[in-house]
Amino acid sequence: MKKIINTIYLFMVYAFLYIPIIVLIVNSFNVSKFGQKWKGVTFKWYGELLDNDSLIQAAIHSLTIALISATCAALLGSLMAIALYRYRFKSKNFIKGLLFVVMMSPDITMAISLLAIFTLISIELGFFTLLIAHITFCLPFVVITVLARLSGFDIRMLEAAKDLGAKEWTILSKIIMPLAKTAIMSGWLLSFTLSLDDVIISSFVTGPSYEILPLKIYSMVRVGISPEINALATVMLVFSLLLVVISKWLVREKIR
Amino acid sequence: MKTKCFNIEKLIIGIVLGWLICFIFIPNLMIVITSFLTKDDANIISLVFTLDNYLKLLDPMYVKVLWHSFYMAAFATLFCLIIGYPFAYIIARMQIKFRFFMLFLVIVPFWTNSLIRTYGLKSVLGTHGLLNKFLLALSIIDKPLHIMYSEYAVMIGLVYILLPFMILPLFSSIEKLDNCYLEAAKDLGASRWQIFRRIVLPLTIPGIIGGCLLVLLPALGMFYVADLLGGAKNLLIGNVIKTQILNMRDWPFGSATSITLTLVMAFLLYIYWKISQKIHKKVEMEI
Amino acid sequence: MKKISKILLMTSCVVGLSIPNVQAEDQELYFYNWSEYIPAEVLTEFTKETGIKVIYSTYESNETMYAKLKTHPEGYDLIVPSTYFVSKMQKEGMLKQIDHAKLSNFDKIDTNFLNKPFDPNNSYSIPYIWGATGIGINTDMLDKSDYPTSWADLWDKKWENQLLMMDDAREFFHIALRKLGYSGNTTDPKEIKAAYEELKKLMPNVLVFNSDFPANPYMAGETSAGMLWNGSAYMANKEDANLKIIWPKEGAIFWMDNLSIPTHAKNIDAAYKMINFLLRPDNAAKIALQIGYPTPVKAAYPLLPKDFLENTNVYPPQEVMDKGEWQNSVGDASDLYESYFQKLKAGM
Repeated sequence: MKKIINTIYLFMVYAFLYIPIIVLIVNSFNVSKFGQKWKGVTFKWYGELLDNDSLIQAAIHSLTIALISATCAALLGSLMAIALYRYRFKSKNFIKGLLFVVMMSPDITMAISLLAIFTLISIELGFFTLLIAHITFCLPFVVITVLARLSGFDIRMLEAAKDLGAKEWTILSKIIMPLAKTAIMSGWLLSFTLSLDDVIISSFVTGPSYEILPLKIYSMVRVGISPEINALATVMLVFSLLLVVISKWLVREKIR
Repeated sequence: MKTKCFNIEKLIIGIVLGWLICFIFIPNLMIVITSFLTKDDANIISLVFTLDNYLKLLDPMYVKVLWHSFYMAAFATLFCLIIGYPFAYIIARMQIKFRFFMLFLVIVPFWTNSLIRTYGLKSVLGTHGLLNKFLLALSIIDKPLHIMYSEYAVMIGLVYILLPFMILPLFSSIEKLDNCYLEAAKDLGASRWQIFRRIVLPLTIPGIIGGCLLVLLPALGMFYVADLLGGAKNLLIGNVIKTQILNMRDWPFGSATSITLTLVMAFLLYIYWKISQKIHKKVEMEI
Repeated sequence: MKKISKILLMTSCVVGLSIPNVQAEDQELYFYNWSEYIPAEVLTEFTKETGIKVIYSTYESNETMYAKLKTHPEGYDLIVPSTYFVSKMQKEGMLKQIDHAKLSNFDKIDTNFLNKPFDPNNSYSIPYIWGATGIGINTDMLDKSDYPTSWADLWDKKWENQLLMMDDAREFFHIALRKLGYSGNTTDPKEIKAAYEELKKLMPNVLVFNSDFPANPYMAGETSAGMLWNGSAYMANKEDANLKIIWPKEGAIFWMDNLSIPTHAKNIDAAYKMINFLLRPDNAAKIALQIGYPTPVKAAYPLLPKDFLENTNVYPPQEVMDKGEWQNSVGDASDLYESYFQKLKAGM
């Protein structure tokens, strides 16, 4: 009896999470523009999607930013985690405090603070401002993930390496990095997701020269008329699923 | 050799500090300072010190908006907890080979842009949408429910987007429960309710708190959910800040509002932290 | 380490291929326009004829466009401000003077729409589209006896949570001002305050503010009546939705949107080419037919089908034109309108 209740409950929650998405996907094949009545199957919305140059351009931009900022955040964040873990220096608490501020501030506060400094140094809003913003808000997540992993290290191992004469750079590259690899990878993955999905910060710091997907989607959703959005949703979902499958396959290879 | 060690260390610390100072410390400082300045049409701000911006916030209109945002975020968090806890519990107690797959299924929707998911929600909640069609077909209601553009739509939207954030920490905390405690309690004759209330619940408090924070804090700032689903009468504090900065270009006031929001959040965090400390102490003493 | 270097290599390739090129100048046009205002084919036609790539972005209110331009003066080459924003922006030096000699199609414009008080001699703006805001209704959801006939009708309690209003301070206040017998262009703080008090009473009836695609909530069945632009009703009708415009007794709101070039625009030649392109009678006719708004280009009139010209949803009858009021600049009072509007939205 308990099992049945549990199963029903799980099913209901999954239904709640998935039904809107299923509706989106189904409607991407619906001839009717408003998706309120089923009028037949068609692929024409996918065709229109491919024709929509500005949307494709925005998608490429978003992916680019996500890839680059995730990588930079992973690198910079790992460096931060290492610094916090290994080194003793005065500004440790200052750094921890700042990272905490970033994590805790509402997105919108971060957005306007970045806009403020970009305006101050008169940098044109676009690719680089977006990149800097994304790297900055992903940092705390990477730091926490990597730091959690590093804290599990046996510090004696590192001391042994030092006693054996290893230079700092060797210790970093040959011991710490490889062992923290999974944490860095999950930090990268998290940053990538956060960057792709970000709406709030991006709407403040990007400019007309560099349109990104969430903002394009925002205006499309507000106008709300073309099932191109549905086609886009389906494509994005399939793409992310592929990404996950590929990364799982890569990890399995590594373990062997 | 020692100098090389020293250099890399310094280099790393330098880069780290540099980035943080440039893009976190200074910008936030600028916002704090701006909140005390005055608006100027030509140059955006003029260097006149004033407390007006903060005083303006005491205006009932803004207090109302802040309260409204807080109350919606709080309810969304509560619902996430009520829905998410049993869910996380069931999954955490499943066989290992199913566990991660089930969790993975929770994260997958996450991979679609949250705006698009909100849009999907619009088609489900609309007057001609799926939910109404379903309820009408089953004769549960005889006229369609008008959910769109109401408070309920916004709450449903927030729960929909933030549920995974509640489930994940709960899951990781429930998973760590040592079965021995539960079995021992059962052997000693404790009822299921007693086991839950006295063992499971206190031991999963970190997960509950983590989940609540991960939902409450973003919920307070998410203006686009209110924008798309809320209609005319659901202005949230995030929308106010956005309008102040982007439309009315009132940086001082926008900054003041934003700092106030941050302080409110910090205050909430502090309360949660104090509560969790107290409960932890209580749990430690009881064990 | 190997994995990291692979990723770095991949990303540097991506970076190399995607960082935007900053060299090609007049091969691009940054066009910032209202949403729903240009059919995509017109833009692709333009690129085909001139080879200039159009980078198109949209806004849903003059205020958004103004704010974006203030923080971003060189970001856009061509914008479409409404009448009262043309005078505001011109006073602040944000608009470039337009040399009519560069526009071969300038003489094709109906002189009735030129030389208006907000921009004498059209030194800073060229008329693009004019339109009207009236009462919109979804005929599927209402009985004929329920149709509102005046702005004042919308205040009736039976419309609770049923109305759609434009997300625009000036337009929203216009209906209250007209209800009270004042001009929609008033700068008198007392009158504006009175309108605010009046609108407070209307708020329970308002379900949603929307200027992105105002016809949408009607079509989705969420709102049954409210304000609506004539072009939106026209486009909805094309999609088989039964929306209708009723011209209110107190008078409809008339406005004009105009093409202007920001002072710091980079691709000025491209901007002139686009303006001229849009003024060409065949393009003007195409645009009007697609978006349902009347065009000020006289030479396009013979190209429009008779039923379009006689469609009262698009071309209001003469009596309506006479009774209505054209939107004009209110100078500094616009801040007052805006702050009252925010208050109403917050429920105060």
